[in-house]
Amino acid sequence: MNAFLAPNDYKSPLKPIWCPGCGDYGVLQALYRALSAVGRPPHEIAFISGIGCSSRIPGYTTAYGFNTLHGRALPIAQGVKLANPDLLVIVAGGDGDGFSIGGGHVPHVIRRNVDLTYLVMDNQVYGLTKGQLSPTSPRGLKTVTSPMGSLEQPINPLLTVLAYGAGFVAQATPADMPGMTALIEEAIRYPGFSFVNIQSPCITFGEEDQQLKAHKARMKPLASLGHDPANQLAALDLARAYGTELYTGVFYRNPSPPPTYDALVRQRQVELQKGEPRSRSRVLDGYLKA
Amino acid sequence: MIEDLVVGLAGSGGDGVVSAGESLLAAASSQGFYAMMTKSFGSQIRGGESSCRVRLSTRKVLNPGGVLDVAVALNWEDFRRFGAELPIGPGTVLIHEAKAGPPPADLAPSGRMPREVIGVPLAELAKASAGTDRAKTTIVLGVLSGWFGVPQEALDRGLQKKFAQKGEGLLEANRKALARGISFAAEHPLAAPRALARPEASAPKLLCDGNEMCASAAIFSGCEFFGGYPITPSTEVMQILSRELPRYGGVVLQAEDEISGVGATVGASFAGKKSMTATSGPGMSLKTEMLGLASIAELPLVLLNVQRGGPSTGMPTKPEQADLFQAAFSAHGDVLRPVLAPSSVEDTFRLTVEAFNLAEKYQTPVVILSDQEIAQRKETVDPIDVSRFEVLERLRPTSEQLTGGYQRFAETPSGVSPLSHPGMQGGNYLAAGIEHDVKGAPTASGATHAAMNTKRFRKLAPLQERSDLFERQGPPDAPIALVSWGSSAGVAREAFALARARRLPVKLLIPSLLYPVAEPVYRAFFASVRAGLVLELSHQGQLYRVLRMFVDVPPGVTSFARSGAQPFRADELLERLEQQAEALR
Repeated sequence: MNAFLAPNDYKSPLKPIWCPGCGDYGVLQALYRALSAVGRPPHEIAFISGIGCSSRIPGYTTAYGFNTLHGRALPIAQGVKLANPDLLVIVAGGDGDGFSIGGGHVPHVIRRNVDLTYLVMDNQVYGLTKGQLSPTSPRGLKTVTSPMGSLEQPINPLLTVLAYGAGFVAQATPADMPGMTALIEEAIRYPGFSFVNIQSPCITFGEEDQQLKAHKARMKPLASLGHDPANQLAALDLARAYGTELYTGVFYRNPSPPPTYDALVRQRQVELQKGEPRSRSRVLDGYLKA
Repeated sequence: MIEDLVVGLAGSGGDGVVSAGESLLAAASSQGFYAMMTKSFGSQIRGGESSCRVRLSTRKVLNPGGVLDVAVALNWEDFRRFGAELPIGPGTVLIHEAKAGPPPADLAPSGRMPREVIGVPLAELAKASAGTDRAKTTIVLGVLSGWFGVPQEALDRGLQKKFAQKGEGLLEANRKALARGISFAAEHPLAAPRALARPEASAPKLLCDGNEMCASAAIFSGCEFFGGYPITPSTEVMQILSRELPRYGGVVLQAEDEISGVGATVGASFAGKKSMTATSGPGMSLKTEMLGLASIAELPLVLLNVQRGGPSTGMPTKPEQADLFQAAFSAHGDVLRPVLAPSSVEDTFRLTVEAFNLAEKYQTPVVILSDQEIAQRKETVDPIDVSRFEVLERLRPTSEQLTGGYQRFAETPSGVSPLSHPGMQGGNYLAAGIEHDVKGAPTASGATHAAMNTKRFRKLAPLQERSDLFERQGPPDAPIALVSWGSSAGVAREAFALARARRLPVKLLIPSLLYPVAEPVYRAFFASVRAGLVLELSHQGQLYRVLRMFVDVPPGVTSFARSGAQPFRADELLERLEQQAEALR
């Protein structure tokens, strides 16, 4: 259908604002490769993000990008997908964007099952505003807004997304580039809402044990543990270890994906439009009283 | 013979006064009368007090009317709760349930009680004729028919429609109740008889409310996406579009909150579709950030705000015109966002089409400021010839522009740049809430920011010349100005006509475009003015204050404003205009 598109065809001339050594560079490279593997031309891709370091990512691709508001990427992405279901819609943002200010939208996009791929670059800290507590910061973490140590339990993105009923849930780290590339590609190809929690280290404000070197030592591919991604209960059980274990790979993949919301909406439109097409200029006729 | 009749009915939720009002409205409109009905409730979901007011006329009805010609009270407690919404005076015929006893002495706030007060044993007559006291509002319809000439055959046809599905027995019972009401009226003639004249022509008319008009106009304008969240009193727009829009290939998303509703609308517009959301004050507060995004990303979007009493939860079921500041100014940064206000149900069609046109033409969010009265009042409207409305589309890039280094925010003389959307090859760009250069690349350059602000304001400059968005009546050199907007404009129109009939030197201005303030239009209008009133239903008088920000309002022009749920009456307005005319002599 399309000529072969190389990873570089998805790369825009804009230079990232990220700190040298930021995990998001790895995510960006993996994304170029995954998009190349999927092969959709950039103009058929809508890449929607919120606000934060990681939310700058759409601008570094050649896709149609929309760098929206803090926490509001998911609502806008749903509008895009429902308006034109033929587009490939990818959403990206940080842990604060997705699970703090925007956390209210997550259950609803999942229960609707809109065919989006949501990539969260989870670094357990607010980077853009320079090092405050994030919703995934571990308890006890000392930051500029928790100088005596955090008293809060972090949210568990994997467990919540699984509990909301997402059909595809995975975790990746730039410490394993081939693995992350494959997971992003699989998430994009999954027919329905898909979620990848990417442990993307913050080189400037992140903890030592959250850096790539530590990831390399700690990470445990789920495949090597013999985990069956079709087993939702086992996935929930493994997800409980978020914050202590660094599992990578697919936690859950619904073996028989239900129809997506956007497909159902389109199907209903087609059914309702059977027969004579309605004329928009006769819209008032129904209010006419003889 | 009289040509205009204003009837107000009040009772408790289960009494069926609103249903009776609807029957009256349907009967009158089927006979070629012009008619208007407003409903008012307590905030209870079921039960509580409820009321309606129906105005019937042989001429076009401009507003729900002032002091009632006929008041019907099923009990005094509920009637009294509506206060200024159901005002009575010496000329009112006050009909009440006989067993409620005579009216309390302090029922009329003016202290001037109706001369004609008639106790009708409604429940008793209903029971005797129909076998159930639930038919008491049908007795009411009967006495109204008997005393005021509401055509019996039309009421009877209404009963047939209403009870068709509920069985022959119920229909027969209500017919008997209607006849009994009519005979009661004949047995007890009014001291001062009055009956409605029959309308001359009975051309078919539209019967609908402002929310229905808005939803219809959205469909007509080519709206393909609606995202929203239920909120009184705008919810009907989402309900209608949920049913209708998919039939035209469109989508409605009931979002998880107000923010998501407008967010999805922004997303759909980015994806190339005409998009809309609807809300009321509290929802508008939540949507504000997203409107700023649409402004800087230059995306078309229509937002309907059906105003209700505020601030905060305020009075959700009552009208107020106190959201103008919010519509015009609720944004951080320098933002210019067009605000349109329909002044009647019919006008809602024209201005909704206009809102879509402005949004698409200038790539901007546009706010329609309706209010609870216009949105939920049902009225007869002469058929609208939709072919006279032009429907505009956004400026899209040409194929040359798409192959030659497309610039999403290109500098143009008009300030409007061609807008691509995902799926369009060569149009790829980054939309953002962050300031950007002509290509959409993020920037923190002061010079670029200034240039972009200039561009975003320049594209809306033509609105200054849109004098067609202002209704002007009266002699251009008149020294007295009457300015009003939204539902209050209907009262202003009537008061203006009365004032002209008394040869007062008054002219009328009804702006449909509230913001930006079209300065040349006001300058020309105010040139001859030495006195006048700006009429609006809000504590502050928000239009008056906005005008003073931008225009040299003549010092003799003052604000006539009061809080919501206390609608103006043409007679009080006329009195003020007479005082002003007197002062000028």
